[in-house]
Amino acid sequence: MNTLQSETELKVIKKIMEDSRNIIADNGWHYIYWGAAVTIGLISNYVMVLSDININSQGLLWFILMTCTWVTEVIIEKRISRDKTEKTFAGELLGTLWFAAGITMFIFGFIGTITKAYSPLYICPVISTMLGTAYIISGAIQQAKWLQIVSIGWWSGAIYTFLFPSIHTLLIFALMIICFQITPGIILYRKWKRNPLAVF
Amino acid sequence: MTDFNYLEIDDVIHSRIRTAIMAVLISVDEAEFTFIREKINATDGNLSVHLKKLEEHKYISVTKKFIERKPVTRYKITKTGRNAFEDYIKKLESIIRSNSKK
Repeated sequence: MNTLQSETELKVIKKIMEDSRNIIADNGWHYIYWGAAVTIGLISNYVMVLSDININSQGLLWFILMTCTWVTEVIIEKRISRDKTEKTFAGELLGTLWFAAGITMFIFGFIGTITKAYSPLYICPVISTMLGTAYIISGAIQQAKWLQIVSIGWWSGAIYTFLFPSIHTLLIFALMIICFQITPGIILYRKWKRNPLAVF
Repeated sequence: MTDFNYLEIDDVIHSRIRTAIMAVLISVDEAEFTFIREKINATDGNLSVHLKKLEEHKYISVTKKFIERKPVTRYKITKTGRNAFEDYIKKLESIIRSNSKK
């Protein structure tokens, strides 16, 4: 084996490894699905606040909505992973990241409110801060700079809603979900749809 | 002339198709037969033969199961395989290095 053969061999190996490693691990459906569920919840919650419906009913709304979303997510995800022809480390990381973020948001949203640790008005900014963190890590894993930039939107929204808390925070947060969650989800889905085995 | 000693090259990996299979499997945690086939553009028969050889040398592990009555075969690189592949890469790099010094 000579130098040229070795170099060619290494180049081929590198190319195959890069192609396999950079498979789009995320088809964006989680973003769209959760985004839609949370937007429905936020708008319903906003209407409940305006209609003076008590806080326990609002809590119940979120509990039912989030539990149903989580259960259906697990069912759908099981189907998707069964049909997948590969399992990547990036995919595992993304799954773990969003699972951890989901659990943390659940604790903040429910346990924090039940124990009256803080005003429910601050649930949205706290969750925005967490989503900003999740997006920047998610973008880094997928080597998608644009996805990392989305976190700036989350953090800016968090600062604004921390500074100016009001009942309209719910609507602002719904708007943020549409812009920074559902829209990136649609972009990811389109990329995946064009070529499921493509690279970014 | 090079200092190349053919005995030092792992002949289980040193085949275009097997090198490609190892490169795919080292990049993903686990892959199905169809995924590897797509990635390296091999035919079913050819790929099976080479996968078998890698499996015999315990460079890869295989799990077979039925999903909705369809057989699904998944391949995963083993620790032995990972070490062998890393040694192989080091060997290639050392060939390039030693020849570029001359």
